[in-house]
Amino acid sequence: MMVNWQAFIVVVVAAIVAACLLVTLFSTALRVGDGAAPWRRLVAVSLYVLCGLVVCFGLYLIVPALHGG
Amino acid sequence: MDIMLVVALVIALALFFDFTNGFHDTANAMATPIATGALKPKVAVAIAAVLNLVGAFLSTEVAKTISGGLIREGDGGVRITPVLVLAGLIGAIVWNLVTWLLGLPSSSSHALFGGLIGAVMVGAGFGAIDGGVLVSKILIPAVLAPLTAGFVSFIATRIAYTITKKRERDNFKIGQVFTSSLVSLAHGTNDAQKTMGVITLTLIAAGLQPTGSGPELWVIVACALAIAIGTYTGGWRIIRTLGKGITDIEPAQGFAAEVATTATILASTNLGFALSTTQVASGSVIGTGVGRKGASVRWRTAGRIALGWLITLPASAVVGAAAAFVAGLGLWGVVLDVVLAAAAILVIFVRSRRSHVDHRNLHLPVPGKFVRPKKRKTVAVR
Repeated sequence: MMVNWQAFIVVVVAAIVAACLLVTLFSTALRVGDGAAPWRRLVAVSLYVLCGLVVCFGLYLIVPALHGG
Repeated sequence: MDIMLVVALVIALALFFDFTNGFHDTANAMATPIATGALKPKVAVAIAAVLNLVGAFLSTEVAKTISGGLIREGDGGVRITPVLVLAGLIGAIVWNLVTWLLGLPSSSSHALFGGLIGAVMVGAGFGAIDGGVLVSKILIPAVLAPLTAGFVSFIATRIAYTITKKRERDNFKIGQVFTSSLVSLAHGTNDAQKTMGVITLTLIAAGLQPTGSGPELWVIVACALAIAIGTYTGGWRIIRTLGKGITDIEPAQGFAAEVATTATILASTNLGFALSTTQVASGSVIGTGVGRKGASVRWRTAGRIALGWLITLPASAVVGAAAAFVAGLGLWGVVLDVVLAAAAILVIFVRSRRSHVDHRNLHLPVPGKFVRPKKRKTVAVR
C-alpha cells in the first residue's frame, strides 16, 4: 500500500499558505479600511485587488487549459 | 438489445445520482453565507448552480481515478459489466437520499465508491477490488482531508479574529460571497467528474467506446447540467445542519472556513485525489468553531456526522451488493432492481414531506448587522 506522502505534504502546505495568505490580505484590508482618512481607502482597495490577483493566480495554476498543461 | 437497455438505465441512474450529489453538496459552499445572511438562500443556490456548471467543464483529472485503479480490469482482472455499475449506482443513490433525509452531510463520493465496491464484490468476488488503492486513495485521504481542512480553517480563523476589530467583522459577509463562489467552482471541478467517470466506464465496458478514452462531450454536458440542477434544488436540510447545527457561525468564521475549504479542495484536485468536498467543508466548519474564542461546537452533532462518514462506504456497499445480487438473476432482476429503487426513492421522498424544510423555514438571521459591538449601559425603560 503506497500513500503518496510527498504529494500529501505538498497539498497541506499549499492549502495552509494559500488560505492564510488570503485571509491575512482580506483581514488587513478590513482593518486598514476602518476610518475616514483617504490613505486608508487607497491601501484597503489595493489589498482587495491583491486578494483578487491571488485568487486569479490560483485558478491559473489549477485549470489545465489556462496554462497549457 | 439487453445491453443497450442496461446501458440506458445506467446513464439515467448515473445522472440521477449526479442530481442527488448536487443538492447534497450545496451546503458545502452555501451553508455558511446563508447562515450569516451574507446571501439570500435562493440567490446562494443559484450562484452555486451556475458555478458548478462552469467548474464541471474545467478539469477532468478526477474522472480517471474512477475508471482506472480501483477495480482491477483486464488480464487477471474482472470484466466490469454495466449491470454491476447499475447495481452500484442504486446503492449510491439510496444511501445519498437516506442521509439527505437525516440532514447528514455525508460524502456522495463515498456513497458512489461504496456502491460500486459492494456490487463488484458480489458480482465478481472480493479479489476484484484493489485493496491497496482503496486504502491509499480513498480511506486514508478520507481521514486526512477533514483534519487538514479543520487545521487550516482553525489557523485562518485565528488570523481573521486577531487582525480585525469587532466592528469591522461584519464586512466579512462580502468576502463570504466570493469564497463561497470559489467553493462551488471547486466542487464543480471535483464532483461532476465522478459521474462522468462512471458513465464512461460503462460505455467502455459495453464496448461502445475504446478502452482508456476520456469522457465524450455529451457526457460532460449532461453531467454538468445534472449536478447544476441538483445544486439549485437546494438540500435545505443539510444546509441547516452545516450552517447552524454544528456551531453558530459569524461572517469572519464563514469566510475563513470557505477559504480553507477552497484551498484544500483545489490543492488536492490538482493531484487527482478524489476528495470528499463534504468532509473537507465539514472539517472546515468544525475547525472554525474551535478557532473562534467563545464559540462552542456541538460535538454531539459533529459526532453524528463523523459516524455518518464511517458508515457511508459500507452502507452503500451493502445496498449495492444487494442490488447486484438481484440483478444477477437475469434481465428481470435488473428491472426489479430499478423498480425497487424507484419505490425506495418514493418512500424517502414521501417521508421527507412530513418535516419539510425549504428556503422559507430555515430560521434565517434578521437581516442587517450581524456582529453588534457592545452597547453602553444606557437602556431606556418604558
